[in-house]
Amino acid sequence: MRLSAPAGLSRAVLAPLRAVVLLAVVSVAVFAATELLPGDAADAVGAGRASAAQLAGLRAERGLDRPGWERWASWASALLHGDAGRSLLTGRPVVDVIGGRLPATAVLAGSAFALTAPLVLLGCVLAGRRALRRPGDAGGGLATALTAVPQVVVAAALAALLSGVLRWVPPVSLLPPGGGPPDPSILVLPVLTLALPSAAFGVALLGGVVADALRRPYVTDALVRGVPAGRVLRRHVLPVLAAPALRVLAVVVGGLAAGGALVETVFGYAGAGELLVSSVAARDTPVVQLLGLGSATAVLAVLLLADLVPVRS
Amino acid sequence: MNRVSLAFAFVVVAVTLLGPALAPYDPAAPVTAPWQASSVGHPLGGDVLGRDVLSRLLAGGRRLLVLSLVAAAAATLVGTLGGLAAGWGGSRVLAAGADLLLAVPVLLPALVLAVSLPGDAAVVAATVVAGAPLTLGVVRDATAGARERGYVRAARLRGERTLAVLLREVLPAVAGVPAADLGLRFVTALQLASALAVLGLTDAPATGDWAAMLRENLAGAALNPAALAAPALLLAMLSLSVAAAAHAGLRHAFGTGDAS
Repeated sequence: MRLSAPAGLSRAVLAPLRAVVLLAVVSVAVFAATELLPGDAADAVGAGRASAAQLAGLRAERGLDRPGWERWASWASALLHGDAGRSLLTGRPVVDVIGGRLPATAVLAGSAFALTAPLVLLGCVLAGRRALRRPGDAGGGLATALTAVPQVVVAAALAALLSGVLRWVPPVSLLPPGGGPPDPSILVLPVLTLALPSAAFGVALLGGVVADALRRPYVTDALVRGVPAGRVLRRHVLPVLAAPALRVLAVVVGGLAAGGALVETVFGYAGAGELLVSSVAARDTPVVQLLGLGSATAVLAVLLLADLVPVRS
Repeated sequence: MNRVSLAFAFVVVAVTLLGPALAPYDPAAPVTAPWQASSVGHPLGGDVLGRDVLSRLLAGGRRLLVLSLVAAAAATLVGTLGGLAAGWGGSRVLAAGADLLLAVPVLLPALVLAVSLPGDAAVVAATVVAGAPLTLGVVRDATAGARERGYVRAARLRGERTLAVLLREVLPAVAGVPAADLGLRFVTALQLASALAVLGLTDAPATGDWAAMLRENLAGAALNPAALAAPALLLAMLSLSVAAAAHAGLRHAFGTGDAS
């Protein structure tokens, strides 16, 4: 960053400001993408059967005939007051609909993250060792290549192997109907499908930074002078890595949020991601809006953390 | 590596274009028992409705490939024009939002857009929204570098109009960047197109589609794993080879490192 003298102070003020502005921009984008394109909620509720007069009545009742920015403003201010509206499909409050799905998603995303983090660490250690041993080599090719593979392919390959050929786990991950904790075996496929691409992405982004940090002159100098490797790591390498690592964390959080939608739907796991996809299919706009905005907020929150950590270059 | 991946991408594209004519059975008609394991007449077995997996594999690449190409071309075109303009004007647009663009995965905007757009249009729109800024960034850097070269200055001093200088002098010099970048945008579009197809948000043709095959045959993983593994393998090979070629092309265009 180009911040100068009172860098700490301006960062503490500017970073949250930037996050708030970006959040507002994202909310406009989400609202515009879902509300302003042709085919509004009245069309969705009418489903082609309602007459033009009924549609007009429905639009007036829901305020769909007002200008776009006015509708965005009232939507956003209602959201700030904790009111996200009601599902077009069931009529239940959106917050309740989503809240009912969050525990299942938390279990899945938490398990996936618990697997992703050590995998990224391992990948970075390997990248660092490689950088020390072969200084001219850029490395990171394998992880970068793996990020190209579509996540659905990972899902299908794991299902074909673990549940098709080896028959270790069931191919669908249905939650017990009465609630309660899920059987761990149903989590294997969704957790692996979420964690492996996220880990590859994390290593692709962070591995190069680790290798660069280890190649800095003061690090090689310290090692040559005989400073213990552990101290070099603590004093010269890890502080440089804090901010990039938090940025990668934001990417991983975003990957888990989007991947969750895919993985939960593919394996029939009834969490918030599956809700997002089924709401998209049913054109249940209020639910999609809050889920989309919520995922973006999670990513922005971690990016804000990354901005607040002092950058050492 | 580069040549191998290009050759593989070429083979997949050739199979996609010629495949429908080579399919031994009607890809839309049931000819086996559901999820029948592989046999002599059906080397990859049958799918959920007993359709021949090999025939569906040969017929099922075209739609995904065409859709991904259209989306990638749209994103690259928008990004290249924006990058030429930004690089010429020395503007640093988009620096503030760059983190966000990197961190928000493409699938989220695609899903949000799919509320009001048909699935295929959402794939194109999300590829442009998420990909064009990245293309813009690399083209901007390449354009800013080309701006001060002798032949560009000569053209400007000759009094040629800016647009003519950009299209005739600068664009040919930086064209390697958007060409390689097209590959990366293609990979993104392919990931999106296959994700939305698996989620059932696009209209897959009756003759099949590699991504839709994954969805159809997941529940039969234990009966005929080949129905799941074969389309997964083709999708993986296609995306891996195109991405490898694109990375090599970008390294070549920017002249950094060895084009391994």
